[in-house]
Amino acid sequence: MHRYPRWPIHLALLAASFLMLIPFYWVLKTSVSGENIFAYPPSVVPKEPHLFYYVDVWYYIPFARYFLNSVAVSAIAVAANVVLNAMAGYALTRDFAGKGLVLMLFLSCMMVPFQATIIPAYLITGRLGLLDSYLGLALPQCSTIVCIFVFKASFEAVPQSLIDAARIDGLSEWGIIWRMMIPLAKAAVATNVILSFIWSWNNFLWPLIVTRSADMQTLPLGLARFLSYQEDTTGALYAFCIMVLAPGILLFLLAQKEFIQGLTSGAVKA
Amino acid sequence: MAQVWCLLAPSLAIFLLYRILPLLWNGVLSFEDWSPLKPAHWIGFENYNEMLFDDDVFWQALWNTLIFMASAPIGIVIALGLALLVNAEIRGRDVYRTIIFLSYPMMTVAVAIIWRWMFDERVGLINYVARSLGLVDRPIEFLNSFNWALPSVIAANTWQMLGFYMIILLTGLQSIPGELHEAAAIDGAGARRRFWSITLPLLRPTLFLCFVIGMLNSFTSFDLVYVMTGGGPGRATELLITYIYKLGFSQTRFDYAAAVTVFFFLLLVSVTWLANRISGRDAGAMRMD
Repeated sequence: MHRYPRWPIHLALLAASFLMLIPFYWVLKTSVSGENIFAYPPSVVPKEPHLFYYVDVWYYIPFARYFLNSVAVSAIAVAANVVLNAMAGYALTRDFAGKGLVLMLFLSCMMVPFQATIIPAYLITGRLGLLDSYLGLALPQCSTIVCIFVFKASFEAVPQSLIDAARIDGLSEWGIIWRMMIPLAKAAVATNVILSFIWSWNNFLWPLIVTRSADMQTLPLGLARFLSYQEDTTGALYAFCIMVLAPGILLFLLAQKEFIQGLTSGAVKA
Repeated sequence: MAQVWCLLAPSLAIFLLYRILPLLWNGVLSFEDWSPLKPAHWIGFENYNEMLFDDDVFWQALWNTLIFMASAPIGIVIALGLALLVNAEIRGRDVYRTIIFLSYPMMTVAVAIIWRWMFDERVGLINYVARSLGLVDRPIEFLNSFNWALPSVIAANTWQMLGFYMIILLTGLQSIPGELHEAAAIDGAGARRRFWSITLPLLRPTLFLCFVIGMLNSFTSFDLVYVMTGGGPGRATELLITYIYKLGFSQTRFDYAAAVTVFFFLLLVSVTWLANRISGRDAGAMRMD
């Protein structure tokens, strides 16, 4: 391959990165300095930056409560995803009558976006008596088809002789999954954890439908609500925004590889 | 064998409960006259009649959803350019990839608030830049304008989806064997020629995949629209999904919302099927000339 100059590529990518980051900067700037909406032009560099807005958030809204709710719902979703998807993924590596049917069912379920189910999903959750509860908030997301396939692919890479040996040693199927398969499939576990966490942490539509009391609201709901109370002129809204984004971004940066692998494998399968 | 079914049971139960059952229930509900306070009775196609012949909002929402969908290729083309750039062997490409992808896993509600602020008519960055460059002499109220609201929401959505398209296209680019490019280069094909005759034809299935994702996204972008504009001004940014939500949960018309959902789902399935059909016909085939 012949050489070509690299600087135009860097220049184009720097411009793209700048455009992708500038909205974050604009919000970060407002969160540390506020904005006088009657002064024009707006300041590009924050004047007298301070962190008071980050303190204000705790007084304006029950931030701790929203945070706790989000953590509880995400924890249920993540734990359920790892356990249930590992079980289903392992089952799909075995041969059994009706496997084709199950696979077809899973693939067709992938075609049904959650948004197309909201009315009956609400009615079903109501019949189950789970409206306004952590379990009701987490239940529709407790198992994800993409993540089942991530486990399946990873379990299939384990040599059959190893599984046979474990069976001869008297390990039950349950024991094989938890004592042997899971330790061998750490990347798949990481993919499951991060995907289910991000999906549940960011989810807005479902909590909007099933929560009734202010006590059960999760962070995205709290954020949308704060916007409708305060209008968008206070620095505290943007401080709240940054505080809500931080955990997701942090986790994404830590487990970027697993996240992208999971997403692309899911997208390509779909 | 019983063991296998035990292992599958919890996941199957969740999917049956929250995917299959809702589909069937929507179908039944759409033919009924029902609200939580009165008994259901069968009314045939009355809900559908109202939707198709007597509901301007439905048509407006459908039209907006289709415009939203038709704008997906803009993002995909930009993402293709970015994917080609970050696929080059340059220093720091992982950092570029991370930065461009970063907006995708973010909470959409927060993205909506960020973009409301960017589009703000008083101190928003976009109006500030436009005014400084002399493009406009009066600030534009992007999100309160009938002409600008939908393009603004689409721009915010494209910003969030760009990195995802890029990553998918990058995976596609990396699956193209390097020898093809090398052989073509030896035969004297320039970079542009190799792009049109090798990269693009081989990338075709991936491009269609991106389009299917973008299409799905246009049907499901509830969070962004709900927080940025709430469907307004008027109905200028109403999408089918926000309309379904409002019908169901502000007007308590579950039966009618179910009819719109059935339409919504059938449209989604047929567009996906069509896209697969077009891309599948000669997916991966190369132009030999």
